[in-house]
Amino acid sequence: MKQFIVLGLIDGVVYGLLATGLVLVYKGARVFNFAQAEFGTVAAFLAYWMFEKNHMPYWLSDVLAVIIVGLLGFLLERLIVRKLFNAPRVTMLVATAGIALALIQLEIIIAGANAVPLPPAIQGVGVSVLGVIVTPQQLLTFVALVGLGVAMGYFFSRTDLGLAVLATSQEPVATELVGIGTRRMSSFIWTMAAVLGGIGGILIGAGGSIFPSFMTTSYLLGAFTAAVVGGIDSLPGAFVGGVVIGLTRDLGGYFLPKTIPGGPNLLVFAVLVLILLVRPQGLLGAKA
Amino acid sequence: MTERAGRRPSSRKAVSADPGAPATGDVDPVDVVAELAGDVAIEPGEGISSESEGFDQISAEDTEPGPSAAGWIARRGLIAIMVLGVIAAPLFYRGDAGQTKLTWMAIGLIYIIFGLSINVLVGYAGQISLGHQAFVGVGAFTSAYIVSVSHASFWVAFVLAGVSGAISAALLGFIALRLRGLFLALITLAYGTVAQFTLFNISSLTGGGAGARAPRPAGFTSNRQFAYLCMAVTAALLYVDWRMVRSKVGRAIFAIRENELSAASFGINITGYKLLAFTVSGVFAGLGGSLFAHQQQLVQASSFDFTFALTLVLMVVVGGLGSRVGVLIGSTFFALFPLVFNAISLYTALIGAIALLLTLTRFHGGIAEQIAPILRWFGGGTLRKHPRRVVRTGGESVSP
Repeated sequence: MKQFIVLGLIDGVVYGLLATGLVLVYKGARVFNFAQAEFGTVAAFLAYWMFEKNHMPYWLSDVLAVIIVGLLGFLLERLIVRKLFNAPRVTMLVATAGIALALIQLEIIIAGANAVPLPPAIQGVGVSVLGVIVTPQQLLTFVALVGLGVAMGYFFSRTDLGLAVLATSQEPVATELVGIGTRRMSSFIWTMAAVLGGIGGILIGAGGSIFPSFMTTSYLLGAFTAAVVGGIDSLPGAFVGGVVIGLTRDLGGYFLPKTIPGGPNLLVFAVLVLILLVRPQGLLGAKA
Repeated sequence: MTERAGRRPSSRKAVSADPGAPATGDVDPVDVVAELAGDVAIEPGEGISSESEGFDQISAEDTEPGPSAAGWIARRGLIAIMVLGVIAAPLFYRGDAGQTKLTWMAIGLIYIIFGLSINVLVGYAGQISLGHQAFVGVGAFTSAYIVSVSHASFWVAFVLAGVSGAISAALLGFIALRLRGLFLALITLAYGTVAQFTLFNISSLTGGGAGARAPRPAGFTSNRQFAYLCMAVTAALLYVDWRMVRSKVGRAIFAIRENELSAASFGINITGYKLLAFTVSGVFAGLGGSLFAHQQQLVQASSFDFTFALTLVLMVVVGGLGSRVGVLIGSTFFALFPLVFNAISLYTALIGAIALLLTLTRFHGGIAEQIAPILRWFGGGTLRKHPRRVVRTGGESVSP
């Protein structure tokens, strides 16, 4: 029981990070980015390729992988998102789903469909947290992502760039009038979303095995639900929603009878339907 | 509007697709063949909203005389040759290579049914569906269960597959009544995921990971017979789709896609017609799923994953949303591409995804728009290119 709570919290911050990326893009472009989780898979594969195949230092591979994925986000914004600024939102949504599909296929073509192991950042035996054994990688993931969350909180409330991003999402016209380029902000938002996704993918993938689309299959739906639960336009809400989803899934796996296949997914679906029908603005979101 | 009185006979189609115009009740049998072969489909931006209709109708084409008698014979003749070609083709597929081609044909036809199904929802009603694999899968597993466990006849299973597809779609429809656009997309995605991981993995109903057996129905055991069965069902569903679009139901569904509020103010029952669109889409998907099950002869939950759902969406978007011919071509392309070009099957989804992105960013009408001059020619027009149509961009409508 205690173990499931700790695991749920660790999963929760991962969902929170991915949900933050989703909320960021939603605030910038009013669209659900179906490619968000796949940025993570791409980063994990890039890190694997550089570390395992080309024997580059581990940390360098990770940093380079995140930078390349950031560039990928920038390019996709330029080539696709920008062309669809004035298109119906659902059209853009289908486009992001298309991006996800293209990325998955590229991974399969380049890396093959089989799972490959990505070594953990820190080797070593499990450590005890609150009487529950967790691996160093899980601990690192938790600390890094919580730290990232705090840093983002500071960024969006205290720095000029962060405030400019928020301003763009709230009042594009007025933001233009005070001299902030909304197009550049859009580039920045997509780059940052891709970087967040990439960091998530590398932290999750390390210490386990990675296969094409693993982030999308395992985390995308949960991340969306987390974003909606927290309030789709609320950045702090995304983290809160992430923790809610992480705990729901892991405790669901504990309480639900094993005879129900896909139990955690079923719970996430139930939470999603419930929140959309009862409180569509989410826990921390503003009423539309 | 007075010019309409003197228009060539086939222009009538554009009129009846206009929600404001009165229905044309009579059906010209020649037109039926022409339209089923893809004469005039409802193209995005044509005949739906009154302003784009205006642009189209004042073009020079309308004042020109239609084709001569020989021209009509050539047009109808070509259509007849194509239709007969498809009908006769299975008779000429012999030997081992022929068996493969018959299999491809059946799969292509089944995918056309899937395409029609998702087109009803996404193209006609403007409701996005990223969980369409749920409806298809429900139909497939229902059919497999009834035939192999209950030992009932295939036809019972086939009908019940359609019913179960309709029920699963209507359930989602009830949720969709309260959600729009992005949130609807999200809930359909979750619905599809739950279907794949939970519903299709209930061992007692679906055989769990091993899958459910679905033997070929009696009388249709050979690949050739089964291809004809698929052809018959596809033709019937094409006819249903065509009649629906041309009827009051079709006009109401289009009106809801364009603008729910104004549709409601014209007295259109939004709730009813939205649910109807979901139900019709579910029936098509369920029937297609049943054929799919008995074509494969083994149904597994893993076939109905998110990638499959995305493929369904992108084949209608690339084909041209709302266009029957576009959907036909797009579906066939995506069904057969991995089979025909076996060596590069890895690249299918990549090419599909790139085609999708190109369609969305550059060629909004998809394949249907690219071949529009040819379709116009079959309808009695000329092959000449026309000025680009007005592309509607407002609202949450999916059609680009």
